[in-house]
Amino acid sequence: MQKMNKTILGYVPEESPLYRIHPFVRLLFLMVVSLFPMFISSPEWNFGIILLVLAILVYSRVNLKTLRVYIPLSISMGVLILLTHTVLGGRHPEFFVAFRIFDFPFYYERIVAAVDVYARILPMIFVMVLFLSTSRERDILVAFRWARIPFVVTYLGAMALRSVGMVIEDFSIVRQAEKARGFDPQGKSIRYKMRQFVMYIIPLFALALRRSDEFANAIVARGYSFTGLKGVDRADYILHQYEFRTRDAVLSGIIFLSLIAVLVARYGFGYLSLDDSLTVQLLESLLKGGAQ
Amino acid sequence: MTTAVRFENYSWRYSRTKEQALKEINLEIEEGLLVGVIGPNGSGKTTLAYSMNGLIPNQYNGIRKGSVKIYDEEVTEMDQAQLCQQVGLVFSDPEAQFTAMTVEDEVVFGMENMGLTYQEIEERLDWVVPLTDIEELMEKPPYEVSGGQKQRVALASVLSMRPPVLMLDEPTSMLDPIGRRRIFDVLGRLKREYQSTIIIVEHSLENLIPLADLMVLVYEGEVLLVDETEPFFQKLDYLMEHHIYPPGVLEFFHHLKKSGDYPEASALPESVGEGEKQLRRLLENKA
Repeated sequence: MQKMNKTILGYVPEESPLYRIHPFVRLLFLMVVSLFPMFISSPEWNFGIILLVLAILVYSRVNLKTLRVYIPLSISMGVLILLTHTVLGGRHPEFFVAFRIFDFPFYYERIVAAVDVYARILPMIFVMVLFLSTSRERDILVAFRWARIPFVVTYLGAMALRSVGMVIEDFSIVRQAEKARGFDPQGKSIRYKMRQFVMYIIPLFALALRRSDEFANAIVARGYSFTGLKGVDRADYILHQYEFRTRDAVLSGIIFLSLIAVLVARYGFGYLSLDDSLTVQLLESLLKGGAQ
Repeated sequence: MTTAVRFENYSWRYSRTKEQALKEINLEIEEGLLVGVIGPNGSGKTTLAYSMNGLIPNQYNGIRKGSVKIYDEEVTEMDQAQLCQQVGLVFSDPEAQFTAMTVEDEVVFGMENMGLTYQEIEERLDWVVPLTDIEELMEKPPYEVSGGQKQRVALASVLSMRPPVLMLDEPTSMLDPIGRRRIFDVLGRLKREYQSTIIIVEHSLENLIPLADLMVLVYEGEVLLVDETEPFFQKLDYLMEHHIYPPGVLEFFHHLKKSGDYPEASALPESVGEGEKQLRRLLENKA
């Protein structure tokens, strides 16, 4: 049976070629490529980023079926953006009315703006999904530590990540305990649920306090000091296991260069803008027809 | 013999409580012994454990009197990092002591804090991982393995620091019988092969008795009885008066003794196997 690595959003085969790449490079990809849509207005280029991410997911042997959960999210987000730009976008006599529904005008400019915003947000989400689908908590820590982020900061970050799971688990325990004693807000009104929510929050809060107390004991009992120990050069055994190779340096360089290329193309030559976008031209011919 | 741990007139009262958690404790534990500390819940066993490794008074507020010495050095005069290398503490809830994202990170955490080199860490991993049988778990998150495995990971993470004194606070309280047995197997190996000083606060007497050299009864904050294991459990009436309920085999022979069916001078058997032999002998003699 194929051995799998549990990542933050799922499972990836241990043999995935992505694990040959240093975690820092993967973090760099997230941080840099998720910035691209901020500089790219042309929707087709942004959809190109999505295709690139999908290709990397396939290469990384991530089961693409797991991405199905994001389809309703993407659709509802698209509908919401469209509605806020059109129905809730206000009246603009200066804009071109593409069509009317129940005499309500839908402006061409607002539709283009909605498509622009949607096409920028979607690739950012895809890049984040790629990173979280292929990274373990440990990879994130290694990436930050390799970037010389102080151990105490990465450690606190790791604890924050871990505490999310613990709070969810504790919440489930509290809820079951309350249910076992006849407290079940299922089927009750939202107002009732909100009023009774305190029944969950108080024990959850008490549990969180106890856990933090236990945690403090645990790290003190194993000699950890947040300010570092006097005269002790702390080895980072886990980081030591990851080697930053030439390939990683090349990939990092490519990522940086691609950012520079995007910036130069956008602000130096005026490419990647809405003006020369094929998607906008298509929308124009669909919604404006021959009208000017 | 060297004294590993020494309590001298030691008392501790937590702030905002009226009663002292520990009262005038005097106790000496020699190096290389496996010591069982027993007593009902709330009797002060955990306070005793925390006092040895400095969590009391460093992490808790309260009033402290007397002294606790580890290898003749007063606990309050050592800094916490130094103390952790002298007394390793395994908590009753293993999950409460996990601080890392994978078992491997968890086991190396203490060693990194000690400032060991990569090579030393690797050497100790090679020793502790097979000892505690956690090879298969190294890549997993520690909070996602089974209860018994969690406790073995917790034990490995403390053992890897190689403290001369190992203190375990109810290490099997959350485990099933198989999990308990495996923890005691590891402790047995530590005792036999490494002559470690091990102090175990434990309710599971059937596993503890065959291993323990010395037993300590703590009751309402006082150390009432300290003795070698065999004579300790001969005072069964006294122990039962203080809510210590021994394994069935001990209690059975104790009843036989009281009813005159078992010789007064004979020692009570400490295990089922030993009990079986005694019973056969008894029946043969009767016949």
